[in-house]
Amino acid sequence: MAQVLRRRGRIQVRVDSREREALVGIVDALSPRLAAPLASAPRAYDDADLQAEYDRWVRPDIDRGREADIAMVRDALTAGEDTLPLTDAQALAWLRAFNHLRLAAGEILGIEDDGWDEAASDETKQKPEYGVLIALGYLQEELVAALGS
Amino acid sequence: MATTSAPSPTKAPAQSPDRREHDQREFGWNVVVWNDPITLMSYVVLVLRRLFGYDHATATRLMLQVHNEGRAVVATQPREQAEVSVGQLHAFGLQATLGRP
Repeated sequence: MAQVLRRRGRIQVRVDSREREALVGIVDALSPRLAAPLASAPRAYDDADLQAEYDRWVRPDIDRGREADIAMVRDALTAGEDTLPLTDAQALAWLRAFNHLRLAAGEILGIEDDGWDEAASDETKQKPEYGVLIALGYLQEELVAALGS
Repeated sequence: MATTSAPSPTKAPAQSPDRREHDQREFGWNVVVWNDPITLMSYVVLVLRRLFGYDHATATRLMLQVHNEGRAVVATQPREQAEVSVGQLHAFGLQATLGRP
């Protein structure tokens, strides 16, 4: 199982080749879904005019940032290394990327309520998106702990 | 014995209702984070600490308010700053809006 460690002020993600391959598969499978706004994509304003301004001036930066975060994760995972050193800024980028990918997986599974992990049927648990939620959730917890320590 | 009265503090001029409304409109925008079933609690705490500089206890209290009540006002800022904050929260994948109180 992948590990996230903090050594001499640097974060290290230790992930073997099989896990890296699986994570790249997750990125490649779900990132195209993020190209279009998710149905769950948050609005900033109730007011339609202000929201249109936000979509015009702010949203493109958010989209570019998300694409850059995901590309950073993919590049690191395909570099052929078992130990991936991350700065705090890179760890935050990984966290953002994983959260967007988890949101996409949750939308595919139709999750709308808390407690989905306890309520999931055996059929749901067999779906790859369910595995994405669990695997990336584990890595997010590890990264949060490393950043907070 | 002679006494001198302390100088009375200068009163700030009363704000007109229009001015108060203007200030409220421009400076009193709430940044609201909404619950979603996917995002991890620990991640929300981290994001609130990083973006707003809250200590762990404050960020945890706000996260629990989001979780238990469905939403929490995490900051009140001038409109432009509130919009930046909401954009940062969206970049982290959190559900966030801004609005007048």
